[in-house]
Amino acid sequence: MSTAAASSRKRRRSAEQLAAQGRDISVSEFFAKNRHLLGFDNPRKALLTTVKEAVDNSLDACEEAGILPEIWVQIESLGGNRYRVSVQDNGPGILKKQIPLVFGKLLYGSKFHRLRMSRGQQGIGISAAGMYGMLTTGRPVKIISKTGPRRPAHYYEIQIDTRRNKPEILNGRGQGVDIPPGEKGRQYMEQHGIHWEDVPHGTRVTIELEARHQRGRGSVEEYLEQTAIANPHVTIHYTDPDGQQRTIPRSAEVLPPEPKEIKPHPYGVELGMLSTMLKQSREQTLSQFLTRSFSRVSQSVAKKICETAGLSTRARPGRIGRHEAERLYQAIQQTRIQAPATDCLAPIGEQLLLKGLHHVVPGQFYAAHTRPPAVYRGNPFQIEVALAYGGAAPTRKVSRELLEELLQESDARTLRQFLIHTFNGIGADGAERILKASGLGVRKVPAKLRKAEIDKLHQAMQHVNPDEGQTMTLIRYANRVPLQFQQAACAITQAVMNVNWRSYGLSHSRGSLPAGPVTVVVHVASVWVPFTSESKEAIAPYPEILRELRLALQAVGRKLGMYLRRRARVKQQEDRRNLFLRYLDEVATAVSILDNTDKDHLYQLLLEVAKRKTAEADMKLDRSGRLVGPEEELQDESVLIVEDRPELWITRSSNGQQAHGETSETED
Amino acid sequence: MAKRTSKKSNGTARLSKQDRHTLAQLTELAHSVVRAAERKRDPHLDIPARSLSNVRFNKSRRIIEMGRNTNRRHLFNLNQAKSYMQTLLVAAGCKQLIDQGKTTSIRGLYYMLKHTIKGTKEETFDDQSECDPVIEDLEVLVRCLREELHLYAQKKGDMVGPLVLVDNGDEIDCSRMGSGGYGIPSIVEPERIQFKKCTADFVLHVEKDTVWQRFNEDKFWKKHNCILTHGGGQPPRGVRRLLYRLHHELGLPIYCLLDNDPWGYYIYSVIKQGSINLAFESQRMAVPDARYLGLRSKDFRECELSDSVKIALTDTDRKRARQIAQYPWFAHKKKWQKEIQQLLENDFKLEVEALISKDISYVTEVYVPERIAAGDFLD
Ligand SMILES: Nc1ncnc2c1ncn2[C@@H]1O[C@H](COP(=O)(O)OP(=O)(O)OP(=O)(O)O)[C@@H](O)[C@H]1O
Ligand SMILES: [Mg+2]
Repeated sequence: MSTAAASSRKRRRSAEQLAAQGRDISVSEFFAKNRHLLGFDNPRKALLTTVKEAVDNSLDACEEAGILPEIWVQIESLGGNRYRVSVQDNGPGILKKQIPLVFGKLLYGSKFHRLRMSRGQQGIGISAAGMYGMLTTGRPVKIISKTGPRRPAHYYEIQIDTRRNKPEILNGRGQGVDIPPGEKGRQYMEQHGIHWEDVPHGTRVTIELEARHQRGRGSVEEYLEQTAIANPHVTIHYTDPDGQQRTIPRSAEVLPPEPKEIKPHPYGVELGMLSTMLKQSREQTLSQFLTRSFSRVSQSVAKKICETAGLSTRARPGRIGRHEAERLYQAIQQTRIQAPATDCLAPIGEQLLLKGLHHVVPGQFYAAHTRPPAVYRGNPFQIEVALAYGGAAPTRKVSRELLEELLQESDARTLRQFLIHTFNGIGADGAERILKASGLGVRKVPAKLRKAEIDKLHQAMQHVNPDEGQTMTLIRYANRVPLQFQQAACAITQAVMNVNWRSYGLSHSRGSLPAGPVTVVVHVASVWVPFTSESKEAIAPYPEILRELRLALQAVGRKLGMYLRRRARVKQQEDRRNLFLRYLDEVATAVSILDNTDKDHLYQLLLEVAKRKTAEADMKLDRSGRLVGPEEELQDESVLIVEDRPELWITRSSNGQQAHGETSETED
Repeated sequence: MAKRTSKKSNGTARLSKQDRHTLAQLTELAHSVVRAAERKRDPHLDIPARSLSNVRFNKSRRIIEMGRNTNRRHLFNLNQAKSYMQTLLVAAGCKQLIDQGKTTSIRGLYYMLKHTIKGTKEETFDDQSECDPVIEDLEVLVRCLREELHLYAQKKGDMVGPLVLVDNGDEIDCSRMGSGGYGIPSIVEPERIQFKKCTADFVLHVEKDTVWQRFNEDKFWKKHNCILTHGGGQPPRGVRRLLYRLHHELGLPIYCLLDNDPWGYYIYSVIKQGSINLAFESQRMAVPDARYLGLRSKDFRECELSDSVKIALTDTDRKRARQIAQYPWFAHKKKWQKEIQQLLENDFKLEVEALISKDISYVTEVYVPERIAAGDFLD
């Protein structure tokens, strides 16, 4: 609306009237009205977000305390659309007086005011989840936390006062309850229906909420699986609403290195921020200000900056004017300053990424690449990429007998479910296609299939290639937390789509994800991840981040390209060998008919010539192509090439566990 | 192997001199493979090139002779391995035919050799068109006619006329063959066919069956005392070899009545000088003295034909005509150059049947007798 139009209208309210209406908006109130910003847009997502906020906090707390995390996640269906989510960890626990604040006050957190890599950063997460639960069910958040084996467990039932952004404690006459350690406490818990996994210390939070449970994309199950990929040091126990239990054991026994807190790097500080820092500084000299407020600024670097800015090293920071501050800002940009310390970041590492990915995603080729740390706006960040390629779909390799057995064991309620949960990686889409090809109904009960129906299913499984028309599966992480939503809005997706995957042997049209049986895992680790919104679903496209993403993706892309070319070459050599061998027998037979030569003898002679000839031809290919010595290049630590063993990707429900790599119990 | 040798010893007794020669050639082929393998070399075959660039016109003998260009076919070459194998299969097949004293059609041989290659889903030959060129390769490779390899092509070509011959022991009077005529076999070698009695003055060879029927019905051969043959288009080797023998052994002049188009010219060229494809056979098949009676480019005007019999030349026709004009054996013949030039100028072609538009028996009663009498032909 133009100002002219506005002023021409009759004033409705005076400035005074408006001022009288204005009042502080409670953050809690604001978010209650804008729940979508926090990831509570719909009941299904609300369930996931609740689990996620709690698990993220648990993992943060464990890692910070140096404890190998073990997490229990339980979702109970309370009938209708009500669910109860409980998440427990074996972390350090929370001090009594802090518990109400943590769970009952938005924007209370230990992570906001520091530059340190962690999953949570805003101090909103868990209290928002609790608030959502309260708003939809009226039930309070319940917390038990214990800081040591001989310490009491603090038990709280908390509500959040959305108007005042303050916790309200409901139990123990507003004081909470302390449950003593040992037998007495155990009895108390039993009496009051409080569940507690018996660990010496840890925290358990329980939230009741309106939600919907559905497997597949964006589900709790997906979140937990993806969490396992990026966090191989975590053990997760999961009980789903059907009461099914499943454990994903840790594959690494070491904690990631502890990320250190850092001071901001000078390159990342904006002019306004710099001015504020100068004003607030208590340092005596500009030189001291620079060396003590920033990382990587030594005396000599400070001197250089001051010189370039035309300022005295001994100037008082508080007295630096606007123009001088601007000169200082420019000078910082012009001075060469070492990149920020890397120990503030804890990348997963190429080895563990490979391990984690191989653990969960079927494939034949795995490559990982961790970029050196870089900086955007003074915040160190680091990009890691891992890629899994290929692997025949497990559905195509299953024998008729094994299929029958699997069907009998299965307690899945529908065939669709059976397929998705038994054969890892085929996805809902693949299951759909198999069922369509089989002509069997989606809702058939697996255990009750008749022989003829099993035959049909088996045939369909062999004929349908679930990989066909498949596009790349992209799994995104920020500080080891999977990002399951807003894929299209994310800088990671943007970077993946902008890489020319065709030059690495995948079919790919720009502006979309490449095609093929590929899974790409991208991890952005940073002391401050620039999310596009509070719901922490997509990463903002800072040019520095996009650049690092591109370089990392290209690094694994090149390795994939090498692998695929090598595979093509090996196939070509094999074809050649076969071609020659194929005809040798015919030739030897014909010659023996013609001149009575001993056929077998001639065959052997020809075979030797063939071997020599193939070797020569293979060599030629080496010299002519740009494939010189790809074997050596590919034999690096960041690459894993495995035999195609589709049977490893079959989950047997009898033991309730996923078949994992070499540790799996599968029958051939 | 031993078994096979003992069986063969029976057959060997019946081998003709020609058969023994052919066998020796085939065996040599096999020896070369063994020799290469023993020296750990890549076995190969040097197959004479069957192309225009590899034929030479022998001016004094007036026939096409094959040049020395060869194409090397390797066993250990991705593109050649299969045809190499196929060549040896065909050789082995022919050797078995000779051993057993049997002959077969080229289609029969194809079926004899076709099977699935052990350990694969691949066939030795996918279809006959894959086998036929390999047979021609073998012919030039071992310099033996396919008939000498105990193979024959589909029989086409008939003959009538005052000639008595003995075919495989049966006496045949070619003047008493009714309306069908004597079907010319594909093997007409003296071992198989002997001429017993001939009173004909010349041979009239026409292009195809339909025209031949016309002449036979009009008893042209009786009136003009000649032998009447046709070759169903491009004459097969049997027909060419027979013409060769009629000319060389019985001294009969050969007149050809073919369509007035590049194809007709080419048929004449093959009868006269030999084919480019199998140039090495020319000396046994070519009749350099054969005469081209018609149809001629001038006939449209001379015979006063109606416009409706014209058939427009196609681009390929024009191209072929120019190519034929370049053949060394036509290049220096002014009359031929004029003939082809005229065809191009006419820009239409004529079939022999065009003459029927004048009168049903115009060709037999007027055209041919007049031309022969006047000695109006191309040479
Ligand atoms: N399971 C836990 N064990 C120990 N401390 C915890 C646990 N859960 C939360 N905390 C503490 O409570 C604080 C607030 O958590 P909350 O999830 O609200 O915010 P955050 O994790 O800091 O940031 P974000 O909003 O990004 O999740 C955390 O900073 C942490 O110090
Ligand atoms: Mg949190």
